[in-house]
Amino acid sequence: MVALAQFQQILWAVNVAVGVALAVLLVVRKNYRVYPSFTFYIFLNLIQAVLLFITYHRWGFNSVIAWRIFWLTLGVVICARALAVAEICRHLLSRYRGVWALAWRILLLCAAVVLSYSILAARRDWRLALPTADRGLELSIATVIVVLLLFARYYDVKGDRVVRSLAIGFCLYSCFAVLNNTVLERLLYDYSALWNLLDMLAFLASLSVWTSALRHSQSEAQPKEILLPSGIYQAVAPEINFRLRLLNKQLSQFWKVEAPEL
Amino acid sequence: MSFLFSFYVILVVLLLLLLGWALRTPRKRGGISVGPATLEETGQPHVTYLPQIRQALAPADLEFLASRASAKLTRGVRKERRRIALIYLSAVQEDFQRLLRLARVIAVLSPEVCTAQEFERLRLGVQFTLRSQMIRMRLLCGIGTLPQLSGLSQMVSAFAVRMETAITELGERAALATELASSLERRGVGLS
Repeated sequence: MVALAQFQQILWAVNVAVGVALAVLLVVRKNYRVYPSFTFYIFLNLIQAVLLFITYHRWGFNSVIAWRIFWLTLGVVICARALAVAEICRHLLSRYRGVWALAWRILLLCAAVVLSYSILAARRDWRLALPTADRGLELSIATVIVVLLLFARYYDVKGDRVVRSLAIGFCLYSCFAVLNNTVLERLLYDYSALWNLLDMLAFLASLSVWTSALRHSQSEAQPKEILLPSGIYQAVAPEINFRLRLLNKQLSQFWKVEAPEL
Repeated sequence: MSFLFSFYVILVVLLLLLLGWALRTPRKRGGISVGPATLEETGQPHVTYLPQIRQALAPADLEFLASRASAKLTRGVRKERRRIALIYLSAVQEDFQRLLRLARVIAVLSPEVCTAQEFERLRLGVQFTLRSQMIRMRLLCGIGTLPQLSGLSQMVSAFAVRMETAITELGERAALATELASSLERRGVGLS
C-alpha cells in the first residue's frame, strides 16, 4: 500500500512535469493561437494539480474538503475538455461549410443522447452521483470524437496530423475513464487508490501523444477551400441519389434478392 | 457481472474498434476521371454490357449443354457462369461506389447541403452494400440461383430510358458540369 502511494506520488510529479512541458511547447511554438481552447484546458489541468497538491497537503487525502475540491475542479476541467474537443471538431470540418453545418448538429445530438442515457441508466446512489456524471461526460466526449472521425472518413476529409493526434489522445483517455469509473462503481472504496493511479497513467499516455504532436509550430491560417456555387449541389445531389436508387433497384430486381428495407 | 458493467465495457470496446476503423488509411479507391463528361459517364458502363451478360447467363445454353455434353463440361460452364455473375456484380458495385464518391465530393465542396439527401445517400449505400454482399455470398456458396433473366430485357430497356432522361437533364446543365469539373480539379484531393 505504501509502495502504491509512493508510486502514485512519483506518477503525479511526472504528470505535472509532462503537463508543464506541453504548456511550454504551446506557448513557445505559439500553438496557443491555433488551439486556444486546448491550451486553456492544459493550463486548467496544471492549476487543478497545484490546487489539489495544496489541498491534500493541508487537509489530507481522505478529508471531505479534499473530496469536494477534487470533484469541483474535475467538473471545471471536464467542461474545458469538452470545449477543446469542440475546437478539434471545428478544426477538422469547419472549412467545409455545408458538411460542417450538418456535422455539428449531429455531434451535439450524439453528445446529448449519450450523456442523458448514461445519467438516466445509472444506479441511484448519491455516493456515485459524481463518478456517474463524470462517466457520462467522458462517454459523450469519446462518442463525439469517434463520430467526428467517422464523418471525416465518410466524406474523405483529410485532417492534419496534429488534429488527429489531439482527437486520439482525448478519445483514448475518455474511453479509459469510462472503464475506470465503471469498475469503481462496482468495487467502490477497495478500488479508489488504484482508480486514481490508473487514471493518472491514462492521462500521462494522452499527454505524451499531445506533446509529440505539438512539438512543432502549427500554421494559424488553414488553406482556404474553394467551394462550389450553391446551385450545383441542389442540381446534382438529387440526380445522383436518383441514379443510386436505380442501381440499387436494378441489383435487387436482377438477382431477385430480398434485402432489409432501411 | 451486472448489466450496466457489461454494457459500458462493450460500448467502450465498440468505440475503440470504430476509432481504429475511422483512422485506418482507406484502400486506394478507383478514381473519378475529372472532366465535364464525368457526370454523364458515371453509372453507365455496366448497363452497356448487360446484353452480353444476358447472353452469357442464358439458361437455354446450360440446358442445351446438359443434354449434349458431359457432366464435367456442364459443371465447368456452370462455374464459369458463376464467375461472370461475380464480375458483373463487382462492376455494378464499382459504378455505385463511383457515384457515391462523386456525391460526397460535391457535398464537401458545397456551401450548403440538404440533410435529407445526405441521409438518403447513406441509407442507399448501406442497403446496396447489404444486398450485394448477400448476393456475393450466395453465389460463392453456390446456394443461390443465378440471375433470373425472365423479363430482363424489359427491365433493361426501362432502365436505359430512365438513365437517358437523367443524362439528358444533366447534359442540359453543361455549364454547371464544367464549373463542377474545374472546382474538383482545383481541389485535387483524392480524386484519382
